[in-house]
Amino acid sequence: MSKSFGTEAQRATGLSRRAVLATGAAALATPALTGRVFAQDAVNVGVIMPLSGPNAQFGINSRNGIQLVADEINANGGIKSMGGAPINLVIADATSNPTQAATVAQRMMSQDNVVSVLGAFASSLTLAISEVTERRGVPLLTMSFSDQITDRGFRNVFQIVSVGSQIGAATFDYTRALAEQAGTTLERIAIMYEDTAYGTSQSAGLRSAAAAAGIEVVMDEAYPLGITDVSPLINQLRRSDAQVVFPVSYLNDSLLIVRAMRQQGITIPTVGGAAGYIIPDFRDGLGELADNVLSISPAAYDQAPEYTERFREKFGYFMVHEAQEHAACMGCLHAALESAGKADPDAIREHLQNDVFDQGWATVMTGGKVEFDDKGRNPHASPLMVQWQNGELATVYPKELAKAEVVWNS
Amino acid sequence: MQNLLTLLQTTIDGILIGGVYAVISIGLSLVFGVMHIVNFAHAEFLMIGMFIAWFAWNYAGIDPMLGAFIALAVTFVLGMLMQRTMIKPILHAPQVSQIFLTVGLLFALENGALLLFGADYRSVSTGYQTQALTLLSTEAGRLFVPLDKLYAFLMALLSGGALWYFLSRTRWGRAMRATAQDPMAARLMGIDTDKMYMIAFGLGVGTTAFGGAVILPYITASPTVGSQFVVLMFTAVVLGGLGSVAGAVVGGIMVGLIQSFSALFLPIQLMNLTLFVIFILVLAFRPEGLTARRRA
Amino acid sequence: MTRQRLLPVLLFAGVIILALIPLGLDPRGYEMRILCITLLFASLGQAWNIVGGLANQISLGHAAYFGIGAYTSTILLKLFSLSPWLGGVIGMILAVAFALLLSLPTARLKGHYYALATLAAGEAIRVIANSWADVTGGPVGISVPYLPDGSLWMMQFSTVLPNYYLFLAALVVICLVFWKIKSGALGYRLRAIKENEQAAEVIGVDTYRSKLIAACVSAAITAFLGTLYAQFQFFFDPDTVFGVATISVKMALIAILGGVGRLSGPLVGAAFIIPMEEMANSYFGSSAAGLSQFAYGAILVLVILLNPHGLTALFAQLRDRFTGKGGSHDRSVA
Repeated sequence: MSKSFGTEAQRATGLSRRAVLATGAAALATPALTGRVFAQDAVNVGVIMPLSGPNAQFGINSRNGIQLVADEINANGGIKSMGGAPINLVIADATSNPTQAATVAQRMMSQDNVVSVLGAFASSLTLAISEVTERRGVPLLTMSFSDQITDRGFRNVFQIVSVGSQIGAATFDYTRALAEQAGTTLERIAIMYEDTAYGTSQSAGLRSAAAAAGIEVVMDEAYPLGITDVSPLINQLRRSDAQVVFPVSYLNDSLLIVRAMRQQGITIPTVGGAAGYIIPDFRDGLGELADNVLSISPAAYDQAPEYTERFREKFGYFMVHEAQEHAACMGCLHAALESAGKADPDAIREHLQNDVFDQGWATVMTGGKVEFDDKGRNPHASPLMVQWQNGELATVYPKELAKAEVVWNS
Repeated sequence: MQNLLTLLQTTIDGILIGGVYAVISIGLSLVFGVMHIVNFAHAEFLMIGMFIAWFAWNYAGIDPMLGAFIALAVTFVLGMLMQRTMIKPILHAPQVSQIFLTVGLLFALENGALLLFGADYRSVSTGYQTQALTLLSTEAGRLFVPLDKLYAFLMALLSGGALWYFLSRTRWGRAMRATAQDPMAARLMGIDTDKMYMIAFGLGVGTTAFGGAVILPYITASPTVGSQFVVLMFTAVVLGGLGSVAGAVVGGIMVGLIQSFSALFLPIQLMNLTLFVIFILVLAFRPEGLTARRRA
Repeated sequence: MTRQRLLPVLLFAGVIILALIPLGLDPRGYEMRILCITLLFASLGQAWNIVGGLANQISLGHAAYFGIGAYTSTILLKLFSLSPWLGGVIGMILAVAFALLLSLPTARLKGHYYALATLAAGEAIRVIANSWADVTGGPVGISVPYLPDGSLWMMQFSTVLPNYYLFLAALVVICLVFWKIKSGALGYRLRAIKENEQAAEVIGVDTYRSKLIAACVSAAITAFLGTLYAQFQFFFDPDTVFGVATISVKMALIAILGGVGRLSGPLVGAAFIIPMEEMANSYFGSSAAGLSQFAYGAILVLVILLNPHGLTALFAQLRDRFTGKGGSHDRSVA
């Protein structure tokens, strides 16, 4: 175990081989003492992502975002209050199995003495990890949406994005406002969602917002994950006579749905539910069909180009939202480490809970700053409506944050 | 009128997707029929076929319908190699070991693909992907045949027909069927059964890879795409009768129809539940499949 | 003969050692968690072994029972604050009911057909758990309410040490049950069915009833293990507890890898697979996506190619080669 940890440390920090071996050996001998003996010892931060399985792409994007921030911190002299200690990312694969994710978290806390954990994109993985981190008192920063994550009264979990029900509700409210702006009154909408944690929780928010506004949901269908033929969905959509369709799905289904709509000549506005709708593959897969497709997004790269463009430079594609939010998590953690001045999970937790994060990467979130309330939620987070325009995503709502005019075909 | 149109549309959709299920299931059935091995890794060859067709499209501009032939050729050779190195040693092992080996192979292939190709979803864009034939256009509604599905269906028919011709009309095909029925007798007749096994496995995975390639216009390729199809494939094969190539065709189309009609009358979410219940009932009452003639 | 008498002694010694292991470990640590999961999967493998090993019914749907157990106790705990000890028992009853229901269409099936029917049944239950959100919470999963201080009655502890002893006790009980069935009258009947079902019927074995009893015992045990898992993991969703690869296939793999139908099989299988999987994840998990799972799959293939009868047979083969006894063992394990 120490072997892989050593090479990881070397890659992340650029330390000399001998230094790594020395600290590695010391860590083996007296794991509890190393933090105190060597003032400049790297601070271990756990990164747990689905690096294999169906969510692998999102896990890799997330890891890239965190890696970018950690590299920048280390290149700028590490954590100043800790004598320039570099950040060492301990990265592990959560697979797509919550049991494995919890085991990985346990391993990081026991063997690598991580001071904090970042992860793990999918809500089910994050929930499993939080059961372990909570019992060990190690802070967990996440961008998973699920309401459940911060509904259980845990002290050590910090959710940087709006929760799923808020995102779902915003999807509806923003769409309604955009329609009105274009002179259309919404009366009938259609919802189709994959029957996963993400699909169900987000569609629940959408549904209740529509009900609150007194608007008829003329189609409301869950479909099995990995559906091989969306014809039944699109046939039903065509019969429903909806004015707007809200599909909540990952990439494969999103491509199927948009293409099948085009085949049948359905041109009503499509408002996606993040995930598959706001990654470069969506545009690559659909070409010009992607144009004008709207989607909700918990964060958008055009809100903070001075930061997000660095991601594009390094990895060659725009900073997808999961990378951006994870980068913001890392930014908050960095600030908390600076003010804590020691690699102690309790102290870091106190600072995460009480500080205001308005510097560096934390500012890429909406509101330009991050705070965590008693539940561990970020009250400044609010979702954005983005639209594909000329192969890029542009924020079109709320008005004060919009970077482009919406194109609305009703 | 509108109800009639809806029923017709549902039938068309079911048959079109069912044809594709048929062609990817034929290979699985062939492998079982000849070698009596249930290959749980079979759906991974669908994924490999999709990737081959995607690379052919991306780097050489070859349409997936033609790329399917490249996929067939490559996986045919790959399948023969695998049969020789991994399947042959366990042909006479206990069933549990056979299941176990193919499950291990499934993990290795899926994650090998992740290592080689990365986790990105690969999708092609072709002109016909967003077009549909309008069969009928009336006041009450319209009848569509999506072109990508129609092409995939026709390719499926083509490959199914070719395989049928091979098995029933050629000398090698007859030798393969003889091997399936009685390997000992086949050997006595001078048939090289080891070679037949290799060819059967190669053809089996090749046909499935072919099926994977032709659906590339409407399904994206990714390392885990096989898991979307594995249960459907087994259902199709069992409905038609394990080991029967013609049965797999009927089974595949039935699966497509069951799915599309279930989606019409029940929540779409439950379409696979309907399928599983029918599947278990068929196993219980006609384990030899719906198409088989009862043996005395 | 001597082997039969030696085995209980060996097992007893094994239990003592396993009971002492945690004394040297951090009760909240990583090693404890791995040990817990290893014991859990050894138990699951043994439960599967009753059906898959003794009756030769290769079930690929045991996750259905596991999930029923996990969900029943957790739902009752959330709704009525019912102790998981009682909820676990109710889960066992429901699992037996499902086993009886499933046996109606499947009891007469053999070999691949039985495997595929149970696979479909497990998937059907997963779809139901996923869709029936009012009761199960649906795809978002379900959390066991958090008790920071823990309580034995609520089967929740602040460290995993008590969980470890629960898993160990469960394993001992299940091994005893397996041993009892194998060496008792039911075991003989099941073996007769395994050798030749028609012949067994001719000599008066009620094959249907024998298989049914085995299936029900296995289902009940698996369900209670589901409850133990829920109180150890605290969060799960339908895909996890009803998973084909994560539960159904893994249970079978562990029994098969160790040596199907043997008491020691699942123990060897779990002691090999779980740590190996973990090491693959730990060494390769961060370097290249997919490498750990790839290595896992490749090792599985390799083991079976080296000896199709499982690890215990492989060990025997290696030992024989070492002591120069030749391949006499191959027949005895078949």
